[in-house]
Amino acid sequence: MNRDNPRKITVEDLIRLKRAERPPAEFWAQFESELRSKQLAAIVVKRPWWDGASRVLAVLYRHPLPLGAAAALALTWIGVHQMGQSASVVTLPASMAVAPSHPVALMAVQAPASSIGEQQARRSSVAAASLERAATATPVVAADSPHVTQVPASVSVANNEGTVHSPFAEGFSVTLADFHQTAPAMPERAVFSSDREFEASVTPLSSSRLQESDPLARMDPSAERRARLLAPALPAYASSNAHSASTTWTKERADNDRIYESMDLYSSNDRSMVGFRF
Amino acid sequence: MNASKALEKTLVVSPERKLEADADLAIVRRVQAGDVAAFDVLIGKYRERVLGIVYNMTSNREDAADLTQDAFIKAFQSIQRFQGQASFFTWLYRIAVNSTLSHLRKNRLRSFFSLESIREEDPVSREVIDALTDKSGAGRDTFVRELQEKLNDAMQKLSINHRTVVTLFEIDGLSHQEIADVVGCSVGTVRSRLHYAKQLLQAELQSYLPK
Repeated sequence: MNRDNPRKITVEDLIRLKRAERPPAEFWAQFESELRSKQLAAIVVKRPWWDGASRVLAVLYRHPLPLGAAAALALTWIGVHQMGQSASVVTLPASMAVAPSHPVALMAVQAPASSIGEQQARRSSVAAASLERAATATPVVAADSPHVTQVPASVSVANNEGTVHSPFAEGFSVTLADFHQTAPAMPERAVFSSDREFEASVTPLSSSRLQESDPLARMDPSAERRARLLAPALPAYASSNAHSASTTWTKERADNDRIYESMDLYSSNDRSMVGFRF
Repeated sequence: MNASKALEKTLVVSPERKLEADADLAIVRRVQAGDVAAFDVLIGKYRERVLGIVYNMTSNREDAADLTQDAFIKAFQSIQRFQGQASFFTWLYRIAVNSTLSHLRKNRLRSFFSLESIREEDPVSREVIDALTDKSGAGRDTFVRELQEKLNDAMQKLSINHRTVVTLFEIDGLSHQEIADVVGCSVGTVRSRLHYAKQLLQAELQSYLPK
């Protein structure tokens, strides 16, 4: 160590010696060629998928507002478009609308009543109205349930061609068509003196066909009872031959006296309900 | 130089650095526009400085060359993502330093040191060497070699983070703020690491420092 030199050496001076460490010139030639080949390889080699994803994220990060607005607009448009489509699918054609035109169903409407006298007066007018409806309504009636809805005779599969069917409407049409195909021979007579006579006149369906077409057939009740319950509901009942017979039968059963006898009045609190038993 | 000027030097980016950053940004825009050859200008401008940093962190020439090349390749591949919020050299240094730190952490147990020759045409280096030795010829060369090895040992005894800060400040001459940007820590952390690292180096190189 040079003791005569007045310069005081510090640790910083020693470290700065490393600044002067330089590789020889030939090192840079090799460095250059290696770098060039690596650069070419980097250009040629396919980049991994996450590299592209990171670039997309960088773009998103750079323009968050316009991209967010565009995304919201697109989602809104898709939502509106989807809603329009689903609405067109669900809408039933007017001819397929299920109308509660059966007198029983109509009479089962709850109505507020102020007094018994009013109820009595209304009873006669309702009875008259129901008589009219019964005369005009197609008698495709499902048994004697008070909640039953009625399908007008105008409903047919052929009528609905060219219209958009909802899944419900499709199923409904198929069921009706099935009933048409499996129409049993209905009795010519409209009025029977007893249930036994009626049952005897009904030609029973073949059991296998019945099993296929009628969901109720899978239930347990005996064939006799089932035939009795289902006969009025069968579409064949609404056919041209059966139409007049059923109308006569309905008129007969809707006679004033019978209607009056079959009328039940229910009331609870300030509401009253009128029901008819057929 | 008074204390405030020294503080300014470590914190404020100099006008030369600002001009340099603007020139770099213009070149980067050309590369981003598709002028790939313009990237060679940036390689030529920064390769020695980047290599110097990596070499002083690894103390190995081959590793330094590989890591420097990788840093340039990464910068080239990611040039489209460079926004110009930081200067190009800060961005490039960050890539190089992070690659080197990752390499050092992976190869913590492996250490093959190599020495580059000190160019004595640098006046500061010659002055320091002259002050430390009165020998000439072979004796001087041996002394310098020995000093280099001792310096390398001392640097390698520092932790990776401390070595990085010392390299960037004392060898490459970055300001505290620039080091904080490159390393990704606060200016206070940079100062703290620098102070601690110098204390350790002083203890290690005590025999070369006059009393």
